Amino acid sequence: MRKLFLIVCSNIRKAKGQTAAIVVLILFAAMLLNLWLMLSMDYKANFDRYHEKLNAEHVTVTVDDHDGSIKEDLSEKLEKDKDVAEYCLDSCMHMTGTFPYNDGDLSSWFVFMKKQQAIHRSVGKAEIVEDSDDTSGVYLPMLYKTDEIQAGSPIEISIGSHTVTYTVCGFFNSVMTGSHNCGLMELILTEDKYDELEALGYAPNATLCSIRLWDKSENVTYEAALKSVVSERFPNVVMISNSYNMVLQARYISQSICSAIMSVMALLVLLIALIVIASNIINYIQVNMKNLGALKAVGYTSRQLICSLLLQFLGVTLLAALLGAGLSYCFLPSVNTMMISQTGIPYAIHFLPLPLVLSLFILGGTVALSVWLAARRIKKIEPIVALRFGLQTHNFTCNHVPLDQTKAPLNAALALKTTFSGVKHNITVCITMLILSLVIVFCGVMTANMIVDTTPFINLIVGETADSCVSVKPNMEEEFLRKMNDDGRVEKVYLQTSINVTHSGGAELLATLCDDFSRVNNQSIVYKGRFPKYDNEIAIGARYAKEKGLTVGEEIEITANGKTENYLISGFTQITNYLGRDCLLTRSGYERLGTLSDANYYINLTQGTDIDAFHEEVEEEFSGSINATVNIRSTVESSASIYVSLMTMIVLVILGLSVVIIAFVLYLLVRTMLNNKKRDYGILKSLGFTTRQLILQTSLSFMPAIIISAAVGLTIGCISINKLLSLFFCTLGILKCTFEVPVGFITAAGICLVLLAFAIACLLSLKIKRITPKALLSGE
Amino acid sequence: MKNRIFFGGLLLLFLIELIVLFQYAFPKEETSQDTVAVNEIVKTVEHDWNHMEEHVNGTSLEYVVIDLERAVLYRTKAGLSESINAAIAHKDTILDVEADGVIVGKVMVYNDDALAVQSENQTVLFVIIIIMLLQGCMCMGYFFYLRRVMVKPFDKMKYFAERIAGGNLDIPLEMDRQNLFGAFTESFDLMRSELKKAKIAEARANASKKELVAKLSHDIKTPVASIKAASEVGAALSLDEKSKKNYEQIIRKADQINTLVTNLFSATLQELQELTVTPSELKSEELRELLENADYLHRAVIPPIPSCLLFADKLRLQQVFDNLFVNSYKYAGTKINVTIGIESNYLIISIEDYGGGVEESELPLLKEKFKRGDHRKNIEGAGLGLYIADCCMKKMKGRLDLVNGSTGLKATVWVALGSGI
Amino acid sequence: MREVLLKTEKLSKSFSNGGTMQHVLKNIDLQLYQGDFTVIMGASGAGKSTLLYALSGMDTPTLGAITFGEQTISELNPDGLAVFRRDHCGFVFQQIYLIDTMSVMDNVLCAGLLVNKNKNALIDRAKELFRAVDISEETQKKFPTQISGGEAQRVGIVRALINSPEILFADEPTGALNSQTGLDVLDTLTKFNEQGQSVVMVTHDMRSARRGNRILYLKDGVMLGECNLGKYVHGDAKRHEKLSAFLKDRGW
Repeated sequence: MRKLFLIVCSNIRKAKGQTAAIVVLILFAAMLLNLWLMLSMDYKANFDRYHEKLNAEHVTVTVDDHDGSIKEDLSEKLEKDKDVAEYCLDSCMHMTGTFPYNDGDLSSWFVFMKKQQAIHRSVGKAEIVEDSDDTSGVYLPMLYKTDEIQAGSPIEISIGSHTVTYTVCGFFNSVMTGSHNCGLMELILTEDKYDELEALGYAPNATLCSIRLWDKSENVTYEAALKSVVSERFPNVVMISNSYNMVLQARYISQSICSAIMSVMALLVLLIALIVIASNIINYIQVNMKNLGALKAVGYTSRQLICSLLLQFLGVTLLAALLGAGLSYCFLPSVNTMMISQTGIPYAIHFLPLPLVLSLFILGGTVALSVWLAARRIKKIEPIVALRFGLQTHNFTCNHVPLDQTKAPLNAALALKTTFSGVKHNITVCITMLILSLVIVFCGVMTANMIVDTTPFINLIVGETADSCVSVKPNMEEEFLRKMNDDGRVEKVYLQTSINVTHSGGAELLATLCDDFSRVNNQSIVYKGRFPKYDNEIAIGARYAKEKGLTVGEEIEITANGKTENYLISGFTQITNYLGRDCLLTRSGYERLGTLSDANYYINLTQGTDIDAFHEEVEEEFSGSINATVNIRSTVESSASIYVSLMTMIVLVILGLSVVIIAFVLYLLVRTMLNNKKRDYGILKSLGFTTRQLILQTSLSFMPAIIISAAVGLTIGCISINKLLSLFFCTLGILKCTFEVPVGFITAAGICLVLLAFAIACLLSLKIKRITPKALLSGE
Repeated sequence: MKNRIFFGGLLLLFLIELIVLFQYAFPKEETSQDTVAVNEIVKTVEHDWNHMEEHVNGTSLEYVVIDLERAVLYRTKAGLSESINAAIAHKDTILDVEADGVIVGKVMVYNDDALAVQSENQTVLFVIIIIMLLQGCMCMGYFFYLRRVMVKPFDKMKYFAERIAGGNLDIPLEMDRQNLFGAFTESFDLMRSELKKAKIAEARANASKKELVAKLSHDIKTPVASIKAASEVGAALSLDEKSKKNYEQIIRKADQINTLVTNLFSATLQELQELTVTPSELKSEELRELLENADYLHRAVIPPIPSCLLFADKLRLQQVFDNLFVNSYKYAGTKINVTIGIESNYLIISIEDYGGGVEESELPLLKEKFKRGDHRKNIEGAGLGLYIADCCMKKMKGRLDLVNGSTGLKATVWVALGSGI
Repeated sequence: MREVLLKTEKLSKSFSNGGTMQHVLKNIDLQLYQGDFTVIMGASGAGKSTLLYALSGMDTPTLGAITFGEQTISELNPDGLAVFRRDHCGFVFQQIYLIDTMSVMDNVLCAGLLVNKNKNALIDRAKELFRAVDISEETQKKFPTQISGGEAQRVGIVRALINSPEILFADEPTGALNSQTGLDVLDTLTKFNEQGQSVVMVTHDMRSARRGNRILYLKDGVMLGECNLGKYVHGDAKRHEKLSAFLKDRGW
């Protein structure tokens, strides 16, 4: 063991640069891996911890309740229900509404509660995290605390089609109703403001029902069952709900994207580290053939020699991994603040042993495996052969690029010779460049579809977007449509109403109705089959279909308003809202079940039309017949801005990392090449080659592999990026991405990458300057 | 390598074949009717019922529409089942067409299973034929390859063996190391060349043996002759004279030892008395530093120094320059002119001031111990400096010349070039 | 007087060896003449190779100047030296130094193409030289590891001569060869010299040295004298006698 340790030490001393490079790569890998594991393992656990801490509910429902009859009815039912562990019923007001947030409008279904009531609920209580001296105003979920929205500042909240202004008194935290993408969003009003609002009558009275179940996993089914029971008894009553699963997913979407990207990055860096280690070892064996032969002749067994390599690289790896994990704790605070701004749930940083152990284990294991695979060939060395011949050069390879026949200029021809003689280098370069070009394509696609133009990404996440949404009472529908169609500012107006229906024997589905689906903006919502066209057709959420084993062409029973009809599945949709439990129906299709109470129309306006002004105008014209107007554009933009900033950061980090990685890999390759070819370069210099020519030759020799693999990688990337991304996003319910691939941008980036690689290679091979013909002559 | 590619390729093709066949034998799922498309047909037919002549097929299926009187209202193409009975026999899909809740006709969607099966068969056949052709080509290629690498070299070897048997050892066997048998044929050629060498060596050995015998017989004659002569001389000598000669020899040797010891003694004594000067190789550029140090009043402009290797003691040389410059400061106090040049094996540094020099008669005395120029008596100093400088220079195989130049006293330092002679 | 090719003035070369300066060459004044076969002789460590490398622009001298025609090559930077070497010098090394990854022909062409852009003329020249040193067409296609030492050294000579250099420098060209192949190589050098090629060879071997017209004896970095053998034809026993007498004088 002691002897082995000596070998290890001398190896490390001899290859300081390479060891440093490997350390840095492993450092990165360990950091990313540990961050990823921490994000993916503990952040969701944190949600549960918080959920327990606030004794939060598993299912939340608000129901219109003008006279308290529903409340009575519900309490009677829940009391009897065996599944229910605890419940809490409170009066509140609810209505759809918006308030300005992040340069846009935030829209959600608001639930207004009295302060005392809200913080003293037995189930699903709110926790005030920031309070102020103001005694009259509103408390907002802590997620919405920004530079503009501070305690003491006024905020304009539009409720339905009315607007009220409150002072922000403070912020609170609520697990199930603390974010706009939870379906329901609680706003806590002080007593006086609550009474004032109730008196104004902008929002109808309702009952807020929070239920904890014995079995948490039942939450989605229970939600559906409860709602169908209620709607059966009280048809046409407005009822909004959410469930534990949905909230968990909604609040952690960006966190899962972030950790998924981190995992991919970590694995890429790890892969490159492994390749570097493997090529390092292969090179080490080649260079030290004689030494290894000598050691073997002295009596070392192959196993001992392999062990010494294992010891060397594992030691370095584990040390670097520990450091990297430590480094990840340095970055965690900033990542954490970003995450909290996404989830709105506080997270206290603490040491997590499991991710650390796991990442050490993953790194150690993979490194050990690659070392073992690369070092296996030590077994094949025969001591005598190794001692006598050293490097096995007597391969009768054919003469690549014979100088007497080639048309290429001298430097290029010599570079090509080098390229052909170093197959292993080429493979390393190719793998690295393939990976990097994939990364470039990813960055390009993300930049084009999320940063420069956010629509494709929003279409993917949100589903259907337009400029404006106007909710019209059915009696005015025809006139409204006529007016709209005559209006020059309106490009397109179509029905887009959401309504709850129930799949018999399954869960509740959020049905989106449209009179003609060929008119909707986002035609890629249905990724398999087609949109429903006839009144007996339906398109359902792909995730739900997978859950229930439904296929296109099957018939399912849909119930609403106590009526049941059969529908033929014409396609699958990929919308992430509502846990993928959604379906599309034609208007005529829904009208087989019942009539619409409100009709929401999506409107595309011509470029440059002021959406808010348009709304005011419409509201005036159809006053009394318009329930609400929503500026979809600004709503979407405000929520997208978070994703955009997140993605910008990721793209920048990825590009930076790619540069670092390519520099590392080239550094190692150039080093080994210079070591191997020291003699040849000395000879060439003595023949009169200048340093510049040799640098050019060295750098050029990498170019064929780099250019070819970059071209191949970019082509493959461009073709398959949508498939890869859909794999990547499939946890979000997106099964088919239709991102536009910015070919020009990617080509330019690829060319830049190649040029960068060339520049780096030139820079690294500046060392050739130090090779002198004299050293060659006195050296041997 | 080539073999690996070949067999790998063959195996791959075989696997593809197997997969195709398995897929064919165990189809994944039953072919089912496209219900969505059928629904579309029914819906479009119902919509167009009152003007079927304008009906257009929007799906990929083939169908026939009949009314209750079994009259064909629409067909997508000829040759489909046009009556309910024919449709049942053909396993077609038959559906009712309703208008305002009343059945008004039927749609019979053509069952194209047979066609599908046929086209699938064709595809499988086509793929297998192509793969087999490929396999055939590969086998043919390998056959020709084998012929080239195995049969041909053996043919060549046959002629080679015939030639060797015939005693013709001069023609080498052409070989191709990339060839499978490269090493093998090479050893055959080695055999040929070894045979040839052995033949030549044999002839050569024979010749040299004869030469040696002739030489030895001649050489032995000489020592024999001298032994004879010495015996003759010995016989003529007497005993007494021999001892006297021995004494003379001893006296001569004693004298020799005496002179050697004297030499050694005087050499060490002298060294003990004098300054130690240890000259070694010195780069001429280093002189600049020495001169600049010595000329602390900056009265001289030091010219470029020719690059060469000097043989000098840096410390002593500094002493020499210090002396020369201090003397000039003391006695002349003017600007100093320095010139440096190479002459044969010396680097010559001339230092001349504008003090007018000394009287010619004094010149030879300047380098003596305790001597100073006449008119300089009022200036303090021991008068040893130039003497030491001269000594040092001599020990460095150089010299120091003092002459009256055109403007003043001109000291010329001759520093030997390092050549170790 | 014959035309002077290369001239040194007070050439010195020093190495720093663990703090102490080691002076390998000391004030060498030397002239090399057009058409001469100059041999620099000396025991090992006398500084022969150092002198050769300084002369040929492989290394820069510490002191002194080397002039080639009008050009002072001791003042050139490394790249300038490289260009000087490719244009005016040819080298034959003791260790031969062919590039293993290139065929024999490519080894020669890779030096030739540096200077001569006319590929066809160059190939013709290479073939002619190969014929002159008795390297067959087949060998030209082989790799350096596949040919014998003597062949390799002759290839080395061809590579050195491909650009028709003014001077051919040879550093112990027979050092790594056995006696017979060594003789072949010497014969080749002599032959080229007789055709007018100036050759400068460094050796510590008498047998090689007597091929030269002008023998310079170097000891401890100092030129100890020269001996002209030019008036005797090759193979004349007087050559040997005169050379041994010369060397004996200088303590060989």
